[in-house]
Amino acid sequence: MIRFDHVHKEYPDGTIAVDDFTLEVPSHEVVVLLGSSGCGKTTLMRMVNRMVDPSSGSVSIDGDDVAHSDPVKLRRSIGYVMQSGGLLPHRTVVDNIATVPLLLGATRRSAHARASELLDLVGLEQSVAKRYPSQLSGGQRQRIGVARALASDPNILLMDEPFGAVDPVVRAELQRELLHLQNELAKTILFVTHDVDEAFLLGQQVLVLRTGAEVAQHGSPANILLDPADDFVANFIGGPRRHLRTEMRDGRHIVVDAAGHVTGVLQDDRGAAG
Amino acid sequence: MIQFADAFAWLVDPANWPGPNGITARILEHLWYCLLALVLALVIAMPAGLYIGHTGKGRALAIGLTGALRALPSLGLLTLLAVTMSLGLRLAIVPSTIVLAILAIPPLLAAAYSGVEAVDPDVVDGARASGLNEWQIVGRVEVPLAAPLLVGGLRSAVLQVIATATLSAFLGLGGLGRFILDGQAVADYTRMLGGAILVIALALILDGGILLLQRWLVPSGVSIALGTGRLEGR
Repeated sequence: MIRFDHVHKEYPDGTIAVDDFTLEVPSHEVVVLLGSSGCGKTTLMRMVNRMVDPSSGSVSIDGDDVAHSDPVKLRRSIGYVMQSGGLLPHRTVVDNIATVPLLLGATRRSAHARASELLDLVGLEQSVAKRYPSQLSGGQRQRIGVARALASDPNILLMDEPFGAVDPVVRAELQRELLHLQNELAKTILFVTHDVDEAFLLGQQVLVLRTGAEVAQHGSPANILLDPADDFVANFIGGPRRHLRTEMRDGRHIVVDAAGHVTGVLQDDRGAAG
Repeated sequence: MIQFADAFAWLVDPANWPGPNGITARILEHLWYCLLALVLALVIAMPAGLYIGHTGKGRALAIGLTGALRALPSLGLLTLLAVTMSLGLRLAIVPSTIVLAILAIPPLLAAAYSGVEAVDPDVVDGARASGLNEWQIVGRVEVPLAAPLLVGGLRSAVLQVIATATLSAFLGLGGLGRFILDGQAVADYTRMLGGAILVIALALILDGGILLLQRWLVPSGVSIALGTGRLEGR
């Protein structure tokens, strides 16, 4: 469990990135911080592994204030996936994935064995093991980022717009696989994104954030869709685009949004749905 | 052209190579002075440059300082050090090494800090977030990725030092400068030109050597990363 307790972050130039933020992220759940860029969501996330220290307030993991732990040890115990991948360009894929186990003192042999297990887990061929990050596609690099984060089997995974830089088809695939992985691994995941669909797909709880990491609404995706707290939330999650209705066309139900644009086809047969 | 022909004749004359005043001995002396100076310069410039590149602190100071060092006239400094230092003339290798090191520091320092600064900040951020400590970030991420620039800095330092080590002869030291200085004293232009050609040849050979060595000094992943990775644009 991760707990943010009245966290405040002010930079020396007076910018307030986070203003009095409190949240409990339950273990084994995916909580999504959703907001536009500059709202402070990444800053919040980086407080968990002490890449950023709060000006006041505290962040604790299972009751222990992270401020009391050594940042380097703490980071090795928490998986971190970033948008750009952040892989070491001069190390092979297998060495990149083995980074944390090696830092923790694993032998090269066992770290590499673990890395090849992870390649399977994130759906990559073993043949990419000896290649360098620049020789891979964006989607492959993100998978390796996920594998690296999982290498030491951390309880907590921090994901900072991990699929933001890949094309929509690959993104959808990576999102599905993350859900699948989460079913198996049940990590505590704090996920940062500005993509509403992604937030609703992945998050058991979603926090819609305004500037200064002010919580505009906190709830389940259904909750937020059914009952947006205010106009800001309603607009942010898509406004009229989310107001769907069905129409009959050629004997089938199609789904259209408020402006009349077709967004999908309703499956009549419940068994075929989804 | 007559002089060149004479100079080459002097160079290939086997009688000029052996002995304590021969070409072989002078080349070895020359290389020794350069090595001393380069080691001293590396010991000062590398830690300082890596520190500046890694922390971003002291950058303005380094730029100002290297600019000032570059502007110092080597011969003037050499004379000044030789006559003012108590050891100056008795142990001429000391002022000579200092002057050559001062020449080598600016390119090495600039290569170190600019090389580290040029490393993709996301890569450093990812390494830090994975749990590398600051030393590991410098040693395993920043230095390998800065290696091509570091080698470039080394090349330019070596060139300058090899060329300028001829000045050591002014303090009564050996090295290839002896041929130039002694030749001048007796108006032996053949010997002067021969010495100059040797300096140039030595500089070119060492430069080529480092260029070859670059293949071993720069990790293969770095070449791939910097070669294709940058162009591809993530």
